[in-house]
Amino acid sequence: MIQLRHVSKVFGSGDTAVHAIDDLSFVCPQGAFWSIVGPSGSGKSTILHLIAGLTSPTSGRVLVGGDDVATMSPAEAAALRRRRIGYVLQAFNLLPFLTAAENVGMPLVLDGVRQSEVDERVREALETVKMSHRAGHHPSHLSGGEQQRIAIARALVIRPAILLADEPTGNLDRAGGRAVMELIRDVNERIRVTVLLVTHDPVFAAYADRVIRIVDGRLQQDMALPDEPSDDDVSALG
Amino acid sequence: MRNGRGIHYALLGVVSQNPDGVHGYALKRQCERVLGHFWQLNFGEIYRVLDRLADDGLIEQVLADAGSTRKVYRITDKGRRSLDTFILSPPTDGPRPLRTELAVKLLFAGTDRLPEVLRLIDHQRNAYMRQLHLLSSQRRKLERVPVDSFVTNLLIDGAELAVRAELTWLDEVTQKLGERFAGG
Repeated sequence: MIQLRHVSKVFGSGDTAVHAIDDLSFVCPQGAFWSIVGPSGSGKSTILHLIAGLTSPTSGRVLVGGDDVATMSPAEAAALRRRRIGYVLQAFNLLPFLTAAENVGMPLVLDGVRQSEVDERVREALETVKMSHRAGHHPSHLSGGEQQRIAIARALVIRPAILLADEPTGNLDRAGGRAVMELIRDVNERIRVTVLLVTHDPVFAAYADRVIRIVDGRLQQDMALPDEPSDDDVSALG
Repeated sequence: MRNGRGIHYALLGVVSQNPDGVHGYALKRQCERVLGHFWQLNFGEIYRVLDRLADDGLIEQVLADAGSTRKVYRITDKGRRSLDTFILSPPTDGPRPLRTELAVKLLFAGTDRLPEVLRLIDHQRNAYMRQLHLLSSQRRKLERVPVDSFVTNLLIDGAELAVRAELTWLDEVTQKLGERFAGG
């Protein structure tokens, strides 16, 4: 579960202060899949940074599974990211001189996990993203969509409770983007990892169960997306 | 394309894909698969259209096979010609109408009802997001059925792009109304 309680984040001070997040509160239950949408500069990415402990709120509390991220020491916040939160960005950030499998295993190696367990969990993560057949390939031999799948496997290899995805389709064409979204939806359903997705594309945002729209750092609109049509749904085609 | 005409030919098309005829129940299942969320159909509507197609001589009811009492629908030669003519004639639907209900509301709401107008836009945005969600579920369901859904996926692409354009417009309207009238 992720909880934001009256969270504000101000960058700078005095006349040049920017209120990136302005008294934002929400409760995102474990296993949920939410999208965060809104205009550029509305504070979407800052929300993910706050949850991952990459930045501290100016005021308010950020709770991840009951622990207040804001009061964590840098070492505790780093452990949170290493063991409980998977992060996927627009840039794939794969190391070019390592194979796909070695890239996926990197977070575990850095965390001192023994090799036999690393191998086992890498195999499992590659299977989850359906990239086992590419385990020995280097990133330069993979398409953009495949590289992003490897990056997602690297995020999942730690068996996180939460997957934070910041414009994961931003560098991909529509087909590649859709495949990544299908994958994210699939891992949310199958391994019940909580997903928070930031995107500017409504088509991809709509893969989620709930969409929150952020404007000027405030929660502007909260949209639940049911799986069955209701009477007041518009028809897209005549 | 008027909805009535569209569904008329859509059902005729589905019947035509069954050269040996198709039972009403199987027809409904095929409609769901091929037409999916484009047309939500219940049995009543399907049978009304089928009766109409039969009255016009475009389909006929025949026995499923010798000795069977089960009746199936099958396209007639006239029906096939009618479908061919329809398929090859230019579509009659125009571009997206500019005179949507929301456009009229915007024209006459006035600036003193800005908060209410913005809520209407939010309502519309919500409806479009739900539509996109349903389209994505539809696409996922198609993945699981063992039929070629290439063309249906093209139709879903088109619907998604249309809804995305509407949402982009709603965001622009929201932003510009805010800038102009709310002093933001």
